Amino acid sequence: MISGINFMLAPFAASLLLIIITVYFGIHVIEREIIFIDIALAQIAALGSAVSLVINQLSAGRHSTEHSHDSRTVMAYLFCLVAAAVFTLLKNRRIRIPMEAIIGIAYAVATTSTVIILDKGAGSDVHIHDMLAGNILWVTWHQILRLLAVILVIGLFHYFFRNKFKAVTLLYRDRETVITRPGLWDFLFYLTFGIVIVEAVNIVGILTIFAFLIIPSSVSALFATRWTSRILVGLLVGGLSAILGLYLSWVMDVPCSPTIILFLAVSLIISVMLRVVIKHVRVSGK
Amino acid sequence: MVDNLLFLAAPITICILLAGILSYFGNHILSRGIIFIDIAVAQIAALGTMIGLLAGFAEESLNVQMISYLFTIIIISLFALTKFRKQLISQEVIIGIIYCIGLGLAMLLAERIPGGSNFISKTITGNLLWVTWDKVLECLVIFLIVGVIHLVFRKPFILISDAKNGLPYSLWRTRMYELLFYVTFSVVIVKAVPAGGIFLVFTLLIAPTAAATLFTSSWKKRFIWSWIIGVLGSVLGIYLSYKLNISNAPAIVTLLGLTVFVLAFGKLAAKKIFKPDYKQADL
Repeated sequence: MISGINFMLAPFAASLLLIIITVYFGIHVIEREIIFIDIALAQIAALGSAVSLVINQLSAGRHSTEHSHDSRTVMAYLFCLVAAAVFTLLKNRRIRIPMEAIIGIAYAVATTSTVIILDKGAGSDVHIHDMLAGNILWVTWHQILRLLAVILVIGLFHYFFRNKFKAVTLLYRDRETVITRPGLWDFLFYLTFGIVIVEAVNIVGILTIFAFLIIPSSVSALFATRWTSRILVGLLVGGLSAILGLYLSWVMDVPCSPTIILFLAVSLIISVMLRVVIKHVRVSGK
Repeated sequence: MVDNLLFLAAPITICILLAGILSYFGNHILSRGIIFIDIAVAQIAALGTMIGLLAGFAEESLNVQMISYLFTIIIISLFALTKFRKQLISQEVIIGIIYCIGLGLAMLLAERIPGGSNFISKTITGNLLWVTWDKVLECLVIFLIVGVIHLVFRKPFILISDAKNGLPYSLWRTRMYELLFYVTFSVVIVKAVPAGGIFLVFTLLIAPTAAATLFTSSWKKRFIWSWIIGVLGSVLGIYLSYKLNISNAPAIVTLLGLTVFVLAFGKLAAKKIFKPDYKQADL
Protein backbone atom coordinates (compact mmCIF):
# COMPACT_ATOMS: atom_id res chain seq x y z
CA MET A 1 0.00 0.00 0.00
CA ILE A 2 2.70 2.45 1.05
CA SER A 3 4.84 1.60 -1.97
CA GLY A 4 1.74 1.99 -4.11
CA ILE A 5 1.20 5.50 -2.78
CA ASN A 6 4.83 6.33 -3.38
CA PHE A 7 4.50 5.01 -6.89
CA MET A 8 1.43 7.14 -7.56
CA LEU A 9 2.87 10.29 -5.99
CA ALA A 10 4.77 11.42 -9.10
CA PRO A 11 1.79 10.98 -11.48
CA PHE A 12 -0.41 12.87 -8.99
CA ALA A 13 2.04 15.73 -8.82
CA ALA A 14 2.44 15.83 -12.58
CA SER A 15 -1.28 15.88 -13.31
CA LEU A 16 -1.98 18.55 -10.69
CA LEU A 17 0.77 20.74 -12.16
CA LEU A 18 -0.59 20.23 -15.65
CA ILE A 19 -4.14 21.03 -14.59
CA ILE A 20 -3.07 24.35 -13.09
CA ILE A 21 -1.67 25.60 -16.38
CA THR A 22 -4.16 23.92 -18.75
CA VAL A 23 -7.23 25.24 -16.92
CA TYR A 24 -5.90 28.76 -17.46
CA PHE A 25 -5.01 28.20 -21.11
CA GLY A 26 -8.27 26.30 -21.62
CA ILE A 27 -10.32 29.42 -20.94
CA HIS A 28 -8.34 31.31 -23.58
CA VAL A 29 -8.74 28.43 -26.02
CA ILE A 30 -12.49 28.20 -25.54
CA GLU A 31 -13.03 31.95 -25.66
CA ARG A 32 -11.05 32.14 -28.91
CA GLU A 33 -12.80 29.07 -30.35
CA ILE A 34 -9.52 27.43 -31.31
CA ILE A 35 -10.42 24.13 -29.68
CA PHE A 36 -8.06 21.84 -31.55
CA ILE A 37 -5.01 24.11 -31.31
CA ASP A 38 -3.18 21.80 -28.90
CA ILE A 39 -3.50 18.77 -31.16
CA ALA A 40 -2.28 20.86 -34.10
CA LEU A 41 0.70 22.31 -32.20
CA ALA A 42 1.65 18.86 -30.87
CA GLN A 43 1.55 17.50 -34.40
CA ILE A 44 3.62 20.40 -35.74
CA ALA A 45 6.21 19.75 -33.02
CA ALA A 46 6.19 16.07 -34.02
CA LEU A 47 6.80 17.11 -37.62
CA GLY A 48 9.78 19.10 -36.37
CA SER A 49 11.30 16.13 -34.61
CA ALA A 50 10.62 13.94 -37.66
CA VAL A 51 12.45 16.44 -39.86
CA SER A 52 15.45 16.51 -37.52
CA LEU A 53 15.42 12.69 -37.42
CA VAL A 54 15.66 12.56 -41.20
CA ILE A 55 18.35 15.26 -41.31
CA ASN A 56 20.39 13.31 -38.78
CA GLN A 57 20.05 10.13 -40.81
CA LEU A 58 20.92 11.89 -44.06
CA SER A 59 24.03 13.52 -42.68
CA ALA A 60 24.96 9.93 -41.76
CA GLY A 61 26.90 11.10 -38.77
CA ARG A 62 27.15 8.76 -35.82
CA HIS A 63 25.84 11.27 -33.34
CA SER A 64 25.40 10.14 -29.80
CA THR A 65 21.75 9.61 -28.85
CA GLU A 66 21.99 12.50 -26.37
CA HIS A 67 22.88 14.91 -29.11
CA SER A 68 20.20 13.76 -31.53
CA HIS A 69 17.61 14.03 -28.76
CA ASP A 70 18.65 17.62 -28.19
CA SER A 71 18.48 18.52 -31.85
CA ARG A 72 15.00 16.95 -32.04
CA THR A 73 13.75 19.14 -29.19
CA VAL A 74 15.27 22.24 -30.74
CA MET A 75 13.70 21.46 -34.10
CA ALA A 76 10.31 20.81 -32.46
CA TYR A 77 10.43 24.24 -30.79
CA LEU A 78 11.56 25.86 -34.03
CA PHE A 79 8.52 24.47 -35.83
CA CYS A 80 6.27 25.71 -33.00
CA LEU A 81 7.79 29.16 -33.41
CA VAL A 82 7.03 29.18 -37.13
CA ALA A 83 3.49 27.96 -36.48
CA ALA A 84 2.97 30.71 -33.91
CA ALA A 85 4.11 33.29 -36.46
CA VAL A 86 1.82 31.87 -39.17
CA PHE A 87 -1.23 31.81 -36.89
CA THR A 88 -0.54 35.37 -35.75
CA LEU A 89 -0.14 36.69 -39.30
CA LEU A 90 -3.29 34.98 -40.52
CA LYS A 91 -5.37 36.43 -37.68
CA ASN A 92 -6.50 39.26 -39.86
CA ARG A 93 -9.82 40.81 -40.69
CA ARG A 94 -9.13 40.36 -44.39
CA ILE A 95 -8.74 36.59 -43.99
CA ARG A 96 -12.36 35.68 -43.63
CA ILE A 97 -11.78 32.03 -42.66
CA PRO A 98 -12.28 31.15 -38.98
CA MET A 99 -9.01 30.56 -37.11
CA GLU A 100 -10.09 27.03 -36.27
CA ALA A 101 -10.13 26.16 -39.99
CA ILE A 102 -6.57 27.43 -40.44
CA ILE A 103 -5.52 25.38 -37.41
CA GLY A 104 -7.28 22.35 -38.85
CA ILE A 105 -5.52 22.64 -42.20
CA ALA A 106 -2.17 23.11 -40.45
CA TYR A 107 -2.92 19.98 -38.45
CA ALA A 108 -3.78 17.91 -41.53
CA VAL A 109 -0.75 19.11 -43.47
CA ALA A 110 1.58 18.51 -40.50
CA THR A 111 0.28 14.99 -39.94
CA THR A 112 0.45 13.90 -43.54
CA SER A 113 3.89 15.45 -44.05
CA THR A 114 5.07 13.53 -41.01
CA VAL A 115 3.70 10.35 -42.60
CA ILE A 116 5.42 11.18 -45.92
CA ILE A 117 8.72 11.90 -44.16
CA LEU A 118 8.62 8.90 -41.85
CA ASP A 119 7.68 6.66 -44.77
CA LYS A 120 11.41 6.46 -45.31
CA GLY A 121 11.82 5.48 -41.67
CA ALA A 122 9.97 2.78 -39.75
CA GLY A 123 7.41 2.29 -36.99
CA SER A 124 5.55 5.51 -37.64
CA ASP A 125 2.13 4.27 -36.52
CA VAL A 126 3.58 3.11 -33.21
CA HIS A 127 4.84 6.64 -32.75
CA ILE A 128 1.39 8.07 -33.53
CA HIS A 129 -0.23 5.79 -30.97
CA ASP A 130 2.34 6.65 -28.29
CA MET A 131 1.76 10.32 -28.88
CA LEU A 132 -1.99 9.93 -28.51
CA ALA A 133 -2.02 7.95 -25.32
CA GLY A 134 1.17 8.77 -23.47
CA ASN A 135 1.77 7.30 -20.08
CA ILE A 136 1.68 9.41 -16.99
CA LEU A 137 2.57 6.45 -14.76
CA TRP A 138 6.18 6.48 -15.95
CA VAL A 139 6.78 10.15 -15.24
CA THR A 140 10.05 10.77 -13.36
CA TRP A 141 10.74 13.43 -10.71
CA HIS A 142 13.29 14.89 -13.07
CA GLN A 143 10.57 15.46 -15.68
CA ILE A 144 8.28 16.96 -13.04
CA LEU A 145 10.97 19.42 -11.97
CA ARG A 146 11.46 20.49 -15.57
CA LEU A 147 7.71 20.85 -16.02
CA LEU A 148 7.50 22.90 -12.82
CA ALA A 149 10.19 25.26 -14.09
CA VAL A 150 8.47 25.72 -17.46
CA ILE A 151 5.06 26.27 -15.84
CA LEU A 152 6.46 28.74 -13.32
CA VAL A 153 8.18 30.85 -15.95
CA ILE A 154 5.25 30.86 -18.39
CA GLY A 155 2.65 31.15 -15.64
CA LEU A 156 4.34 34.20 -14.10
CA PHE A 157 4.74 35.76 -17.54
CA HIS A 158 1.04 35.32 -18.21
CA TYR A 159 0.16 36.56 -14.73
CA PHE A 160 2.10 39.80 -15.15
CA PHE A 161 0.70 40.50 -18.59
CA ARG A 162 -2.73 38.99 -17.95
CA ASN A 163 -4.56 42.08 -19.14
CA LYS A 164 -2.77 42.04 -22.48
CA PHE A 165 -3.54 38.38 -23.10
CA LYS A 166 -7.18 38.82 -22.06
CA ALA A 167 -7.49 41.79 -24.41
CA VAL A 168 -6.17 39.79 -27.36
CA THR A 169 -8.61 36.99 -26.60
CA LEU A 170 -11.45 39.51 -26.54
CA LEU A 171 -10.35 40.63 -30.01
CA TYR A 172 -11.11 37.12 -31.25
CA ARG A 173 -14.73 37.64 -30.27
CA ASP A 174 -14.86 40.90 -32.24
CA ARG A 175 -15.25 42.93 -29.07
CA GLU A 176 -13.85 46.40 -28.71
CA THR A 177 -10.66 46.42 -26.68
CA VAL A 178 -7.85 48.85 -26.24
CA ILE A 179 -4.53 47.17 -26.88
CA THR A 180 -1.34 48.31 -28.53
CA ARG A 181 0.48 45.85 -30.76
CA PRO A 182 -2.05 43.00 -30.57
CA GLY A 183 0.04 40.97 -33.02
CA LEU A 184 2.97 40.78 -30.63
CA TRP A 185 0.83 39.52 -27.75
CA ASP A 186 -0.97 37.07 -29.99
CA PHE A 187 2.39 35.69 -31.12
CA LEU A 188 3.61 35.41 -27.52
CA PHE A 189 0.39 33.61 -26.61
CA TYR A 190 0.82 30.96 -29.29
CA LEU A 191 4.52 30.60 -28.55
CA THR A 192 4.14 30.08 -24.78
CA PHE A 193 1.17 27.82 -25.37
CA GLY A 194 3.22 25.77 -27.83
CA ILE A 195 6.03 25.35 -25.29
CA VAL A 196 3.59 24.13 -22.63
CA ILE A 197 1.98 21.71 -25.07
CA VAL A 198 5.29 20.24 -26.23
CA GLU A 199 6.45 19.73 -22.63
CA ALA A 200 3.09 18.33 -21.52
CA VAL A 201 2.56 15.97 -24.45
CA ASN A 202 5.90 14.32 -23.72
CA ILE A 203 4.55 13.36 -20.32
CA VAL A 204 0.86 12.53 -20.65
CA GLY A 205 0.05 12.36 -24.38
CA ILE A 206 -2.16 14.58 -26.49
CA LEU A 207 -5.52 13.17 -25.50
CA THR A 208 -5.23 13.84 -21.76
CA ILE A 209 -3.97 17.36 -22.40
CA PHE A 210 -6.84 17.94 -24.78
CA ALA A 211 -9.32 16.80 -22.12
CA PHE A 212 -7.63 18.92 -19.41
CA LEU A 213 -7.80 21.96 -21.67
CA ILE A 214 -11.41 21.90 -22.76
CA ILE A 215 -13.54 20.00 -20.24
CA PRO A 216 -12.76 21.92 -16.99
CA SER A 217 -13.12 25.28 -18.69
CA SER A 218 -16.37 24.20 -20.39
CA VAL A 219 -17.73 23.25 -16.98
CA SER A 220 -16.65 26.61 -15.60
CA ALA A 221 -18.37 28.40 -18.51
CA LEU A 222 -21.65 26.92 -17.28
CA PHE A 223 -21.41 28.55 -13.87
CA ALA A 224 -19.19 31.62 -14.05
CA THR A 225 -18.13 34.42 -16.35
CA ARG A 226 -15.32 36.07 -14.37
CA TRP A 227 -11.84 34.70 -15.09
CA THR A 228 -10.84 34.14 -11.47
CA SER A 229 -13.96 32.17 -10.61
CA ARG A 230 -13.72 30.22 -13.87
CA ILE A 231 -10.16 29.21 -13.04
CA LEU A 232 -11.19 28.15 -9.54
CA VAL A 233 -14.13 26.05 -10.78
CA GLY A 234 -11.89 24.50 -13.45
CA LEU A 235 -9.20 23.66 -10.91
CA LEU A 236 -11.74 22.01 -8.63
CA VAL A 237 -13.25 19.88 -11.42
CA GLY A 238 -9.91 18.99 -13.01
CA GLY A 239 -8.15 18.21 -9.75
CA LEU A 240 -10.94 16.00 -8.45
CA SER A 241 -11.22 14.08 -11.73
CA ALA A 242 -7.47 13.54 -11.91
CA ILE A 243 -7.24 12.24 -8.35
CA LEU A 244 -10.29 9.97 -8.68
CA GLY A 245 -9.21 8.78 -12.14
CA LEU A 246 -5.66 7.94 -11.09
CA TYR A 247 -6.88 6.18 -7.95
CA LEU A 248 -9.49 4.13 -9.78
CA SER A 249 -7.13 3.19 -12.61
CA TRP A 250 -4.68 1.94 -9.98
CA VAL A 251 -7.28 -0.04 -8.02
CA MET A 252 -9.00 -1.54 -11.09
CA ASP A 253 -5.85 -1.92 -13.16
CA VAL A 254 -7.08 -0.04 -16.26
CA PRO A 255 -5.13 2.55 -18.30
CA CYS A 256 -5.14 5.87 -16.46
CA SER A 257 -5.61 8.60 -19.07
CA PRO A 258 -8.92 7.20 -20.41
CA THR A 259 -10.11 6.82 -16.81
CA ILE A 260 -9.29 10.45 -16.01
CA ILE A 261 -11.09 11.51 -19.18
CA LEU A 262 -14.16 9.50 -18.20
CA PHE A 263 -14.22 11.20 -14.80
CA LEU A 264 -13.98 14.59 -16.51
CA ALA A 265 -16.86 13.57 -18.77
CA VAL A 266 -18.95 12.48 -15.78
CA SER A 267 -18.29 15.78 -14.01
CA LEU A 268 -19.37 17.63 -17.16
CA ILE A 269 -22.63 15.68 -17.33
CA ILE A 270 -23.32 16.30 -13.64
CA SER A 271 -22.61 20.02 -14.13
CA VAL A 272 -24.97 20.27 -17.08
CA MET A 273 -27.73 18.65 -15.02
CA LEU A 274 -26.95 20.90 -12.07
CA ARG A 275 -27.15 23.92 -14.33
CA VAL A 276 -30.58 22.84 -15.64
CA VAL A 277 -31.82 22.34 -12.06
CA ILE A 278 -30.51 25.76 -10.98
CA LYS A 279 -32.21 27.41 -13.94
CA HIS A 280 -35.54 25.74 -13.13
CA VAL A 281 -35.30 26.69 -9.46
CA ARG A 282 -34.61 30.28 -10.41
CA VAL A 283 -37.47 30.41 -12.90
CA SER A 284 -39.97 28.89 -10.48
CA GLY A 285 -38.59 31.10 -7.70
CA LYS A 286 -39.52 34.15 -9.68
CA MET B 1 1.53 4.31 -68.95
CA VAL B 2 -1.93 3.22 -70.14
CA ASP B 3 -1.90 0.35 -67.64
CA ASN B 4 -1.04 2.77 -64.89
CA LEU B 5 -3.86 5.04 -65.93
CA LEU B 6 -6.31 2.15 -65.83
CA PHE B 7 -5.00 1.22 -62.40
CA LEU B 8 -5.51 4.78 -61.20
CA ALA B 9 -8.95 5.17 -62.81
CA ALA B 10 -10.93 3.93 -59.80
CA PRO B 11 -8.96 5.97 -57.24
CA ILE B 12 -9.30 9.09 -59.37
CA THR B 13 -13.05 8.53 -59.79
CA ILE B 14 -13.62 8.05 -56.07
CA CYS B 15 -11.52 11.15 -55.36
CA ILE B 16 -13.65 13.23 -57.70
CA LEU B 17 -16.82 11.87 -56.07
CA LEU B 18 -15.44 12.62 -52.60
CA ALA B 19 -14.31 16.08 -53.64
CA GLY B 20 -17.79 16.76 -55.06
CA ILE B 21 -19.79 15.89 -51.96
CA LEU B 22 -17.24 16.96 -49.33
CA SER B 23 -16.50 20.38 -50.84
CA TYR B 24 -20.24 21.02 -50.78
CA PHE B 25 -20.56 20.03 -47.12
CA GLY B 26 -17.40 21.97 -46.32
CA ASN B 27 -19.10 25.30 -47.08
CA HIS B 28 -21.73 24.57 -44.43
CA ILE B 29 -19.15 23.26 -41.96
CA LEU B 30 -16.96 26.33 -42.35
CA SER B 31 -19.86 28.77 -42.03
CA ARG B 32 -21.02 27.01 -38.87
CA GLY B 33 -17.48 26.96 -37.46
CA ILE B 34 -17.67 23.25 -36.57
CA ILE B 35 -14.43 22.39 -38.32
CA PHE B 36 -13.54 19.12 -36.65
CA ILE B 37 -16.96 17.46 -36.82
CA ASP B 38 -15.87 14.81 -39.32
CA ILE B 39 -13.02 13.62 -37.11
CA ALA B 40 -15.47 13.29 -34.21
CA VAL B 41 -17.97 11.40 -36.41
CA ALA B 42 -15.25 9.04 -37.65
CA GLN B 43 -14.15 8.41 -34.07
CA ILE B 44 -17.71 7.63 -32.98
CA ALA B 45 -18.14 5.25 -35.94
CA ALA B 46 -14.91 3.44 -34.99
CA LEU B 47 -16.16 3.16 -31.42
CA GLY B 48 -19.44 1.72 -32.75
CA THR B 49 -17.50 -0.91 -34.69
CA MET B 50 -15.60 -1.85 -31.55
CA ILE B 51 -18.84 -2.21 -29.59
CA GLY B 52 -20.15 -4.48 -32.34
CA LEU B 53 -17.00 -6.62 -32.14
CA LEU B 54 -17.31 -6.81 -28.35
CA ALA B 55 -20.90 -8.03 -28.79
CA GLY B 56 -19.39 -11.01 -30.55
CA PHE B 57 -20.09 -10.32 -34.23
CA ALA B 58 -17.47 -10.96 -36.91
CA GLU B 59 -15.42 -8.09 -38.30
CA GLU B 60 -16.91 -6.48 -41.43
CA SER B 61 -20.16 -8.42 -40.96
CA LEU B 62 -23.44 -6.66 -41.65
CA ASN B 63 -24.31 -6.67 -37.94
CA VAL B 64 -21.19 -4.75 -36.97
CA GLN B 65 -21.82 -2.20 -39.72
CA MET B 66 -25.42 -1.73 -38.61
CA ILE B 67 -24.39 -1.29 -34.97
CA SER B 68 -21.75 1.21 -36.01
CA TYR B 69 -24.26 3.21 -38.09
CA LEU B 70 -26.90 3.11 -35.37
CA PHE B 71 -24.45 4.23 -32.70
CA THR B 72 -23.16 7.09 -34.87
CA ILE B 73 -26.67 8.29 -35.68
CA ILE B 74 -27.71 8.23 -32.00
CA ILE B 75 -24.69 10.31 -30.94
CA ILE B 76 -25.04 12.77 -33.82
CA SER B 77 -28.78 13.19 -33.06
CA LEU B 78 -27.85 14.09 -29.49
CA PHE B 79 -25.38 16.59 -30.94
CA ALA B 80 -28.10 18.14 -33.13
CA LEU B 81 -30.14 18.69 -29.96
CA THR B 82 -27.37 20.80 -28.42
CA LYS B 83 -28.39 23.70 -30.66
CA PHE B 84 -29.81 26.39 -28.41
CA ARG B 85 -31.14 29.87 -28.83
CA LYS B 86 -28.27 31.21 -26.74
CA GLN B 87 -25.20 29.01 -27.02
CA LEU B 88 -23.46 28.83 -23.61
CA ILE B 89 -20.86 26.33 -24.84
CA SER B 90 -20.18 26.59 -28.57
CA GLN B 91 -20.82 23.55 -30.74
CA GLU B 92 -17.15 23.19 -31.69
CA VAL B 93 -16.37 22.70 -28.00
CA ILE B 94 -19.04 20.00 -27.79
CA ILE B 95 -17.44 18.33 -30.82
CA GLY B 96 -14.08 18.41 -29.05
CA ILE B 97 -15.60 16.83 -25.97
CA ILE B 98 -17.37 14.11 -28.01
CA TYR B 99 -14.12 13.32 -29.83
CA CYS B 100 -12.15 13.21 -26.62
CA ILE B 101 -14.58 10.91 -24.78
CA GLY B 102 -15.00 8.72 -27.88
CA LEU B 103 -11.25 8.24 -28.20
CA GLY B 104 -10.88 7.63 -24.45
CA LEU B 105 -13.57 4.93 -24.52
CA ALA B 106 -12.02 3.39 -27.63
CA MET B 107 -8.68 3.16 -25.81
CA LEU B 108 -10.34 1.42 -22.86
CA LEU B 109 -12.17 -1.03 -25.15
CA ALA B 110 -9.08 -1.64 -27.27
CA GLU B 111 -7.62 -3.62 -24.39
CA ARG B 112 -10.46 -6.14 -24.55
CA ILE B 113 -10.28 -6.79 -28.31
CA PRO B 114 -7.35 -8.63 -29.88
CA GLY B 115 -5.55 -6.17 -32.13
CA GLY B 116 -7.92 -3.50 -30.86
CA SER B 117 -5.50 -0.60 -31.08
CA ASN B 118 -5.53 -1.12 -34.87
CA PHE B 119 -9.02 0.35 -34.90
CA ILE B 120 -7.64 3.56 -33.47
CA SER B 121 -4.90 4.07 -36.06
CA LYS B 122 -6.63 2.29 -38.97
CA THR B 123 -8.78 5.26 -39.91
CA ILE B 124 -5.82 7.60 -40.20
CA THR B 125 -4.48 6.52 -43.56
CA GLY B 126 -7.28 4.90 -45.60
CA ASN B 127 -6.51 2.99 -48.78
CA LEU B 128 -7.38 4.93 -51.87
CA LEU B 129 -5.48 2.64 -54.22
CA TRP B 130 -7.46 -0.49 -53.35
CA VAL B 131 -10.87 1.01 -54.03
CA THR B 132 -12.97 -1.29 -56.25
CA TRP B 133 -15.54 -0.22 -58.84
CA ASP B 134 -18.28 -1.78 -56.68
CA LYS B 135 -17.31 0.57 -53.89
CA VAL B 136 -17.26 3.53 -56.31
CA LEU B 137 -20.79 2.68 -57.46
CA GLU B 138 -22.00 2.32 -53.88
CA CYS B 139 -20.57 5.74 -52.98
CA LEU B 140 -22.09 7.29 -56.11
CA VAL B 141 -25.59 6.05 -55.23
CA ILE B 142 -25.38 7.18 -51.59
CA PHE B 143 -23.89 10.57 -52.48
CA LEU B 144 -26.60 11.11 -55.11
CA ILE B 145 -29.36 10.40 -52.58
CA VAL B 146 -27.77 12.76 -50.04
CA GLY B 147 -27.26 15.34 -52.77
CA VAL B 148 -30.94 15.28 -53.75
CA ILE B 149 -32.03 15.67 -50.10
CA HIS B 150 -29.75 18.68 -49.79
CA LEU B 151 -31.02 20.16 -53.05
CA VAL B 152 -34.57 19.98 -51.72
CA PHE B 153 -33.71 21.49 -48.33
CA ARG B 154 -31.01 23.88 -49.54
CA LYS B 155 -32.77 27.00 -48.30
CA PRO B 156 -33.22 26.12 -44.60
CA PHE B 157 -29.75 24.57 -44.46
CA ILE B 158 -28.11 27.74 -45.77
CA LEU B 159 -30.23 29.96 -43.50
CA ILE B 160 -29.21 27.96 -40.42
CA SER B 161 -25.54 27.93 -41.44
CA ASP B 162 -25.61 31.68 -41.94
CA ALA B 163 -27.28 32.50 -38.62
CA LYS B 164 -24.56 33.72 -36.28
CA ASN B 165 -26.81 34.67 -33.38
CA GLY B 166 -30.29 33.36 -32.77
CA LEU B 167 -32.20 30.91 -34.94
CA PRO B 168 -34.03 31.51 -38.23
CA TYR B 169 -36.88 29.15 -37.29
CA SER B 170 -38.50 28.03 -34.05
CA LEU B 171 -36.21 25.99 -31.80
CA TRP B 172 -37.62 22.55 -32.61
CA ARG B 173 -38.04 23.20 -36.30
CA THR B 174 -34.38 24.23 -36.46
CA ARG B 175 -33.39 21.12 -34.56
CA MET B 176 -35.28 18.91 -37.01
CA TYR B 177 -33.41 20.46 -39.96
CA GLU B 178 -30.20 20.05 -38.00
CA LEU B 179 -31.00 16.38 -37.44
CA LEU B 180 -31.48 15.83 -41.17
CA PHE B 181 -28.29 17.73 -41.96
CA TYR B 182 -26.10 15.84 -39.50
CA VAL B 183 -27.54 12.40 -40.26
CA THR B 184 -26.86 12.81 -43.99
CA PHE B 185 -23.44 14.22 -43.17
CA SER B 186 -22.58 11.23 -40.95
CA VAL B 187 -23.67 8.77 -43.64
CA VAL B 188 -21.30 10.45 -46.09
CA ILE B 189 -18.41 10.54 -43.59
CA VAL B 190 -18.84 6.91 -42.54
CA LYS B 191 -18.72 5.93 -46.24
CA ALA B 192 -15.85 8.26 -47.13
CA VAL B 193 -13.38 7.64 -44.30
CA PRO B 194 -12.58 3.95 -45.01
CA ALA B 195 -11.88 4.87 -48.65
CA GLY B 196 -9.84 8.05 -48.30
CA GLY B 197 -8.70 8.10 -44.70
CA ILE B 198 -9.60 10.69 -42.12
CA PHE B 199 -7.12 13.35 -43.22
CA LEU B 200 -8.09 13.29 -46.88
CA VAL B 201 -11.75 13.62 -45.89
CA PHE B 202 -10.93 16.43 -43.48
CA THR B 203 -8.86 18.32 -46.04
CA LEU B 204 -11.40 17.93 -48.85
CA LEU B 205 -14.01 19.33 -46.47
CA ILE B 206 -12.12 22.35 -45.23
CA ALA B 207 -9.37 23.35 -47.67
CA PRO B 208 -11.33 24.02 -50.91
CA THR B 209 -14.01 26.04 -49.16
CA ALA B 210 -11.40 27.93 -47.12
CA ALA B 211 -9.62 28.89 -50.34
CA ALA B 212 -12.91 30.00 -51.90
CA THR B 213 -14.03 31.92 -48.80
CA LEU B 214 -10.84 33.99 -48.95
CA PHE B 215 -12.13 35.66 -52.09
CA THR B 216 -15.90 35.54 -52.06
CA SER B 217 -18.73 35.33 -49.57
CA SER B 218 -21.62 34.43 -51.88
CA TRP B 219 -22.79 30.84 -51.40
CA LYS B 220 -23.14 30.11 -55.10
CA LYS B 221 -19.61 31.26 -55.94
CA ARG B 222 -18.20 29.42 -52.93
CA PHE B 223 -19.87 26.18 -54.06
CA ILE B 224 -18.56 26.50 -57.60
CA TRP B 225 -15.02 27.49 -56.64
CA SER B 226 -14.68 24.88 -53.92
CA TRP B 227 -15.78 22.21 -56.39
CA ILE B 228 -13.22 23.36 -58.93
CA ILE B 229 -10.42 23.57 -56.34
CA GLY B 230 -11.34 20.25 -54.73
CA VAL B 231 -11.47 18.27 -57.97
CA LEU B 232 -8.37 19.92 -59.46
CA GLY B 233 -6.43 19.40 -56.22
CA SER B 234 -7.37 15.71 -56.04
CA VAL B 235 -6.43 14.96 -59.65
CA LEU B 236 -3.18 16.95 -59.45
CA GLY B 237 -2.34 15.33 -56.10
CA ILE B 238 -2.75 11.83 -57.48
CA TYR B 239 -0.65 12.75 -60.51
CA LEU B 240 2.09 14.18 -58.24
CA SER B 241 2.05 11.16 -55.96
CA TYR B 242 2.44 8.93 -59.03
CA LYS B 243 5.33 11.04 -60.37
CA LEU B 244 7.16 11.45 -57.05
CA ASN B 245 6.35 7.97 -55.77
CA ILE B 246 4.73 8.99 -52.47
CA SER B 247 1.39 7.83 -51.04
CA ASN B 248 -1.53 9.55 -52.74
CA ALA B 249 -3.82 10.66 -49.92
CA PRO B 250 -0.98 12.52 -48.11
CA ALA B 251 0.02 14.10 -51.43
CA ILE B 252 -3.48 15.51 -52.00
CA VAL B 253 -3.71 16.73 -48.39
CA THR B 254 -0.36 18.50 -48.52
CA LEU B 255 -1.09 20.05 -51.91
CA LEU B 256 -4.55 21.39 -50.99
CA GLY B 257 -3.45 22.50 -47.52
CA LEU B 258 -0.42 24.40 -48.73
CA THR B 259 -2.53 26.00 -51.46
CA VAL B 260 -4.73 27.59 -48.78
CA PHE B 261 -1.72 28.98 -46.90
CA VAL B 262 -0.14 30.32 -50.08
CA LEU B 263 -3.41 31.96 -51.15
CA ALA B 264 -3.97 33.47 -47.70
CA PHE B 265 -0.48 34.95 -47.51
CA GLY B 266 -0.76 36.02 -51.13
CA LYS B 267 -3.92 37.91 -50.31
CA LEU B 268 -2.28 39.64 -47.34
CA ALA B 269 0.77 40.57 -49.40
CA ALA B 270 -1.31 41.79 -52.34
CA LYS B 271 -3.37 44.06 -50.09
CA LYS B 272 -0.15 45.48 -48.59
CA ILE B 273 1.19 46.36 -52.01
CA PHE B 274 -2.03 47.96 -53.17
CA LYS B 275 -2.68 49.73 -49.90
CA PRO B 276 -1.34 53.15 -51.04
CA ASP B 277 -3.82 53.10 -53.92
CA TYR B 278 -6.68 52.55 -51.52
CA LYS B 279 -5.63 55.53 -49.46
CA GLN B 280 -5.46 57.74 -52.52
CA ALA B 281 -8.86 56.53 -53.63
CA ASP B 282 -10.22 57.39 -50.19
CA LEU B 283 -8.81 60.87 -50.38
